[in-house]
Amino acid sequence: MNQHVNSSRMIVCDGNEAAARAVVLARPDVVSVFPITPQSSLVESLAQFVADGALGAELINAEGEHSVLSALQGACLAGARTYTATSGPGLAFMFEPYVRTPGLRLPMVVSLVTRDMLSPQCVWGGQQDAMTVRECGWIQIYCEDVQEVLDTVVMAFKLAEHKDVLLPVNVCHDGNYLSYGVSRVELPAAELVDQFLGQPEVNWHIALDPERPMSVDPLTGGTGPGGAASFVGYRKSQVRGMAAALEVFSDIHAEWGERFGRHWAPLVEEYRLEDADIAIITIGSMTGAGKDAVDAARDCGQKVGLIKVKTYRPFPREAMIAALGKVKAAGIVDRSVSFAWDCGPLHQDVMTALFASPLRLPLVGFIGGLAGADITATHFERVIAETTRAAGGNVPSSPVWLNEHD
Amino acid sequence: MPSQDTIRFIPERCDGCGDCMTACAKAKGGASRISIVGSGGGGWDIALCRQCGDPKCVANCPAGALDKHYGSGIVGWSQDLCVDCHLCTIGCAYGGIVFESAAGHVQKCDLCDGTPACVPACGKGALEHLSAAARLHETHADKEDLFVPGLSACQGCNSELLIRHTMRRIGRNSVVAAPPGCIPGMGTVGYNGQTGAKMPIFHPLLTNTAAMLAGVKRQYERRGKDITVVALAGDGGAVDVGFQSLSGAAERGERILFICVDNEGYMNTGMQASGSTPFGSWTSTTPVGTVERGKSTDGKYLPQLMMGHGCAYVATASTAFLDDYHTKLEKALAASRTGFAYLHVHAPCPTGWRFPAAMTTEVCRRQVESNFVTLWEFTAEDGLRFTHAVDRPRPLSDYVGMIGKYKHLGNAEIERIQASVNRRVAFLKGFCRQPSAAE
Repeated sequence: MNQHVNSSRMIVCDGNEAAARAVVLARPDVVSVFPITPQSSLVESLAQFVADGALGAELINAEGEHSVLSALQGACLAGARTYTATSGPGLAFMFEPYVRTPGLRLPMVVSLVTRDMLSPQCVWGGQQDAMTVRECGWIQIYCEDVQEVLDTVVMAFKLAEHKDVLLPVNVCHDGNYLSYGVSRVELPAAELVDQFLGQPEVNWHIALDPERPMSVDPLTGGTGPGGAASFVGYRKSQVRGMAAALEVFSDIHAEWGERFGRHWAPLVEEYRLEDADIAIITIGSMTGAGKDAVDAARDCGQKVGLIKVKTYRPFPREAMIAALGKVKAAGIVDRSVSFAWDCGPLHQDVMTALFASPLRLPLVGFIGGLAGADITATHFERVIAETTRAAGGNVPSSPVWLNEHD
Repeated sequence: MPSQDTIRFIPERCDGCGDCMTACAKAKGGASRISIVGSGGGGWDIALCRQCGDPKCVANCPAGALDKHYGSGIVGWSQDLCVDCHLCTIGCAYGGIVFESAAGHVQKCDLCDGTPACVPACGKGALEHLSAAARLHETHADKEDLFVPGLSACQGCNSELLIRHTMRRIGRNSVVAAPPGCIPGMGTVGYNGQTGAKMPIFHPLLTNTAAMLAGVKRQYERRGKDITVVALAGDGGAVDVGFQSLSGAAERGERILFICVDNEGYMNTGMQASGSTPFGSWTSTTPVGTVERGKSTDGKYLPQLMMGHGCAYVATASTAFLDDYHTKLEKALAASRTGFAYLHVHAPCPTGWRFPAAMTTEVCRRQVESNFVTLWEFTAEDGLRFTHAVDRPRPLSDYVGMIGKYKHLGNAEIERIQASVNRRVAFLKGFCRQPSAAE
C-alpha cells in the first residue's frame, strides 16, 4: 500500500475496506480475525494489509469468534492495542468473552458489520445482532456512511482508551449497505492520525505482566470479607465510565473536526430541525435516505426534520430530549425489533428518555430494513405522513412495518 | 527404600582404583556388578545398571525374568525364570546386565536393598547414591515456592503438589492461566483482592484458556520479551468446552505450555461427569440406579487427540512418578519456545472418586501399574515413547477395587474396561517408531 504519511488523499472504497484502512491508521498491536458474511472482506483486507507490511500487527487467524475475542483479551492484558470485527451469529458465538470485556475494562475496538439474526436463516443486513447486545456494557456507535465509518473507527480507539472511559467500543456499520457500498472517502494522513491517537495505554489498570505481578480477576463478591462492597465498587465505576463516554466522545469529535475538517455530530445529529413540526429519528445507513426524504418534503413545504442517533450506548438522553423539544411529534425508524413489547429498541429508548423529562409528545414506531430490505424514499414519505397525522392526535397503537408488503 | 534410586558416577573424581568393584564382589558374592572401564583419553567410566525408566533388558526378556518394580524403581532379575538366552545383555546399552561365566548366569546391580556397598567404598567420592527425591531436591529446592501456604484444596488432593512443583520450575517470569475448576477453587487466583500465587495469574473462562494465553504470548513476542505462558486447566476446560480453543491454539502452534490436570470430571462443582470420565464411573450426573449403572461410554482420551495437532511435544504424567513429570516438564517448556506443548497429568480425586485421602499416590501408582494410565511422550520426529512401559500389568481389579466410584461394577463391566485399556495400549504402541534396519 502506498503510504502517504503527511497528507490526506481521496480513495474509493466500500465500508469494510474503510474500516480496515482506519485500523491500519490506528496501528493496533494484535488483530484477530474470523470471517463471516457480511464482514469477511473487512478481515480479508486486514490480512492483506498485514501481508503487504502496511499493518505491522500480530495477526491471529483464530478458529472462531469466541477465540478471536479471547485472544484479544489476553493481548490487551499484555498491553496491546487490539481490533477485530464480526457480525450476526459470530457475535452470538463471541458472547461469553464479549460480556466479560467491559468488566475487565479492556479498551478494544470491535466493528459490528450489522446483520439480521437467525432464524429465519438470513445473511443480510439488519441491526438485530448489535441491538441484542445493547445491554452488555460495550459502547455502541452507529455510522451513516463510509467516510463516517473510517473516521469513527479511528476515533473509537481514542474513546476506548480514554482514562475516564476505559471501555470496549463497537463501531457498527450496516451489513450490505455500508459493508459493500462503494463511495469516495478521504483517507487521513498517517502522521496526523498518530498525533491524534498517541501511544496506546491499555493495561495500566490491570495487567498480565511479570514486571507487575498481580492476580487478574480473582473471585469477587459473595459472602467473603469485603466481597459485596468490592463488587459494587467495580460495577459502579463501570457505569461511571459509560456515563463519561458522552462528554469524552464529544470532545474527541471536536478535536477530529479541528484536525481533519470533518465535523460529525458525536451523539445525535439534528438535520433541518430548527423550525420543524415533526422529526424522523434514524440510526445507521438509513439516515441518508431519510435526509433525502426530508429534503423532498421541505421542497413541498412540509416542516420536517431528522434526528440521527450516532451514539446509542450510552444513550444520549439529554441530547435526544433537546432535539425532541423542537418538534410536536416524532417517528422512530428501527431496523430491528424489541421482544419486550411491540416496538423497536430505539423506540423504547426514546420513550424512556422522554419519560425522564417533562416533555411529552406523540411517538410513532416504524420497523423497516429487516433482512436486507431497502428503506427507500417512498418508505420515508410514509414515515413523514404517519408522523404528521400523529402530530394531529392520530397515533397508531402499534408499529408500522415498512417492508410488510414490499 | 525411597523410590526410583540410582547411582551417580562423577568421572572426574574416579582414578580407576577399583575399590568399588572389590566392595561389590564382597557384598554380593562372585563377580562385581559394577565395572570401572577406561573411557579413552585416560579417563574412566562405569558399566552399571541405570535402573532405566524404560528398561530395554526387560523388553527383550522372553521369559519374564526381568521386571521393573514401580515402587522401588529397581529392575529385578529372577534366577528361577531366567532361561539364559542373554537377550537382555544385547538390549542394555550401559553394560548394566552381563553374563558372568563363573556364576553361570547374568548378573546385575540391585542397589543392595537401598544401601549400595560400592558407594561408601569409593574414597574419592566418585559414586553417589541418589534417590529421586534427592535429585529433585538438588534441582529444585533452591527455587522459590510461588504458591501461597494454606490452600483450600481437599485433603489428599495431588494438584497442590503438582502446582507447587510446576510453579517452582517455571518461575516468576511467567503468566499462568487457571480456568474455573479445582485449581482456582483452592485459591490459586485468589478471592476479593487477594492472590494465591506470587506471579501474574488469571481466571480465563472455562472455554478460552488457550486463546487468551495465545494473545498474551503474541503481544510479548511482538515486544521481544521471552515470557513463559502456562495453562493449569482441568479436564473440563480441555476435553469439553475448552477443547475448541485448545485445538485452535495447538493447530496454530502458539508458543504455550498447556497442562491438563485430569480428575475425570467436574469434581469442583460436585462430581459431575465430563468427556474424560471413564466407562462405569459413578458421578452425580451418571448416577447408579436400577436402570443405569454409571457412565455408559468410554472417556475421551485427549492426549491421543493432541498427537494429531502437530504439537511440538505431547506427554502424559502421573504425580506418583514426579521424576518423570519433571523430565517431561523440562522438555515441554523447551518445546513451548517453538510450538505448542501439551502435558496431560492424571489426577485421582479422593473426594470425588471416593477413596481415602492417604491413598492418592498409591492410586496414581496402581493406575500406571495396571496400564489404566500409560506414561509416554510424543513428538512428530521421534514418535511415541513409553517412559514407564508396563509389559506385565497388574490386574485392573487391583486399581478399580480401590475406588468408590467403581464399587458397583461387576466382572463383566471390569472386563469391558480391561478391554478398552488393552485396545488403548495396543493403539498407542502403533505410534512407537520402529527401529530401522541399521539399529
